Amino acid sequence: MNALASEIVRDTGAVSAADLARGGRFTGTIGDITTPDPRMVCREVNVWYGAKQAIKDVSLDIGKNQVVAMIGPSGCGKSTFLRCLNRMNDTIAGCRVRGSIKLDGQEIYDKSMDPVPLRAQVGMVFQKPNPFPKSIYENIVYGPRIHGLTNSKAELDELVETSLRKAGLWNEVKDRLDQPGTGLSGGQQQRLCIARTIAVSPEVILMDEPCSALDPIATAIIEELIDELRENYAIAIVTHSMQQAARVSQRTAYFHLGDLVEVGETNQIFTNPQHKLTEDYITGRFG
Amino acid sequence: MADQRDLPAHPARTGGHTVRGFDRDLTHLLDLILEMGERAVEQTQGAIAALLDGDPSTAYRVLDREPQIDYLALDADEEVFQVIARRQPTAVDLRIVLALGRIAAEAERAGDKAARIAQRALELHETGAEVPGPVLEAVRTLDEIACCAFQRSVSAVAQFDIALAIGVFEDESALYAAAEALNAALLGPTGDPLPASQLAPLLSIAHSLERIGDHGAAIAEQVIYVAEGTDVRFRNREILIDTLRHRGAPGQGTE
Repeated sequence: MNALASEIVRDTGAVSAADLARGGRFTGTIGDITTPDPRMVCREVNVWYGAKQAIKDVSLDIGKNQVVAMIGPSGCGKSTFLRCLNRMNDTIAGCRVRGSIKLDGQEIYDKSMDPVPLRAQVGMVFQKPNPFPKSIYENIVYGPRIHGLTNSKAELDELVETSLRKAGLWNEVKDRLDQPGTGLSGGQQQRLCIARTIAVSPEVILMDEPCSALDPIATAIIEELIDELRENYAIAIVTHSMQQAARVSQRTAYFHLGDLVEVGETNQIFTNPQHKLTEDYITGRFG
Repeated sequence: MADQRDLPAHPARTGGHTVRGFDRDLTHLLDLILEMGERAVEQTQGAIAALLDGDPSTAYRVLDREPQIDYLALDADEEVFQVIARRQPTAVDLRIVLALGRIAAEAERAGDKAARIAQRALELHETGAEVPGPVLEAVRTLDEIACCAFQRSVSAVAQFDIALAIGVFEDESALYAAAEALNAALLGPTGDPLPASQLAPLLSIAHSLERIGDHGAAIAEQVIYVAEGTDVRFRNREILIDTLRHRGAPGQGTE
């Protein structure tokens, strides 16, 4: 807690969660979970895998034109939370989700909500590049076709070029669009997957360790791309690389044993975290 | 309501990393800085002893040893550079590395001031004239306060101890009062005016001692920066001391 906060605590007679956190106990999320222009609003989200609770009362906003990084040790629930945001957990047997997750004010776990269009609005990029075993062109147009977003070949051609340009891949593949996507390098495949996600005009892009299978150069290209994509989308990224979280995000959320321990401006989290658990983790003292 | 001072604290520390090499790097850097600080104190005490005792050999010894602090400062700079490049410190580790780099610069400058005092002591010795007793007494008082402040700030660095750092801030008024008293003894209306050959080096010594105390306060600011994560340079001292006191420094009121 900085000196100014101390003054406030002294004046109001309050004992803040930050004070208690100095001892390393979880006593509620520290930091501002809200953001001025949220695309997604999550409140008191709980997730169980069978009898085991993976997420406990997590509340967090995913802001427009913003990258929020989710960090924490393995098993802390960060990927589980990410997968809740487009109902990917629906596919896991025994997984139960309770709480409220709204996309532009609409409850995504409402019975009337169809998860297929939801996953177009909230796209996802996975750890390992997973292009379809089809041509580069077909990889891009597959989503728009099944969602009925385009009518003509000309529109599809334009969409392919636009998506690949946004993903920073157009100049590298424009002369071989008919070749298999799986023939590209790992970094190019990941950008193809990002282009495929962009092609269905999402509002939010979820990324689950998108660079962990890539070399440093390909990682840098993806990170630059994430920064560019931020102008048009809300992005939530799970990463095990704290340097990556520090480089690409504006907000960082630290998870520990299913709790959202601390959330704040990335600059603050990496220079002066308020919770001892956060500090121990990002300084390599965890465990 | 629980008293804030009863709440647990997690003081800044260099150890505890999963990668123990990181602990060793930070501890090595901290040891370098503490050695610089201790040498700066020894140099200051030696320089003042040369003045008070009128012993030129002591002054020469101080001047001979001055480069050692410079070399330590170069080592500390290199270590800071290496730790940043190899460990990419964050949060409290980053603050520790940045603060220790700044503290090294303060200690190196304090060492320069000690050497300057030794040089002026030699100049005074060469004049052959005796320095008046009241002036020497005022020098002794200022030296004790300045050295004590600097020594305390170095001790604060060892544990990033906020309470010791606050003590340095609290002693600043005594430092400035002693500096004023020495200047009054040198320039005041009482007694016979000193010749320029004595006055100039004594004024330089007074200024150097006061600056050594200031370096101590600057080091204490860095201790607060590490422990609290707040840069307190250029803050009003009275408000700062009051704020830090209410914060409840580690070791004060804690179990």
